[in-house]
Amino acid sequence: MSAPASPASGGGRGSEGAEPDYRFTLANERTFLAWIRTALALIAGSVAVLHLVPLDWAPVMRMVVGLALAGLAVVISVHAPLRWIRVQRAMRLQRSLSLSVLPVVIAVGVALVCVVVLLGTYQS
Amino acid sequence: MRRRSGDPGLQPERTLLSWQRTVALIIVVALLYVRDPFQSGGSNAVAGLDPPQRVAVAALAVVVSGVLIAHVRRRWRACGNEGRDGGVGWVVAPLARPWALFFVSAGVAGFGVVIAAGAVLD
Repeated sequence: MSAPASPASGGGRGSEGAEPDYRFTLANERTFLAWIRTALALIAGSVAVLHLVPLDWAPVMRMVVGLALAGLAVVISVHAPLRWIRVQRAMRLQRSLSLSVLPVVIAVGVALVCVVVLLGTYQS
Repeated sequence: MRRRSGDPGLQPERTLLSWQRTVALIIVVALLYVRDPFQSGGSNAVAGLDPPQRVAVAALAVVVSGVLIAHVRRRWRACGNEGRDGGVGWVVAPLARPWALFFVSAGVAGFGVVIAAGAVLD
């Protein structure tokens, strides 16, 4: 995009408020990308469990762990852009940033998956 | 937003590198998905999709990656940031247009859904 006149404003409908410091905008973008990479890591785990690594677990165990990881990845990748917009708009309007519940959700989800993995390993 | 940048933190460049890491990871995961199981037969792996379908999904992921990296590179270059001296050019923020962020999210979410669906419908 080489239209130098138009300010590239992202997030938030229209461009109400003031353009925030570009460093904050870029940091917001990098946070978004970090979430996306987290989702990709979970997807990699899901692929490994579902059809790559030989495990002698019960098939249902495999399915539960694989689907849980894929499900967490989908939740993250849906939430990440919404979160990016919300933060961008809050910065434009100079409001305080709301806390995201996603880190807690992901931490609990991954902990549960770990428990299931332990069960799967020691039950067989 | 555009301005002359003498950014000592190299923020634009860090953001570009962040995009590159993300795209590289998309390609790695796509290749992982194409790979056949480590142990054919004998294991009770969920078979999932057939190899040709998996290759198609991975090819789609590579196409998405190509679009993203081309977009980000073009934006980066349009700002005259070719010199590696910490941004003598203009700063654009965000580095990618918002559609690219939605595009990459949709791609990753779709990938997750395809993997889950392939395992369930097997």
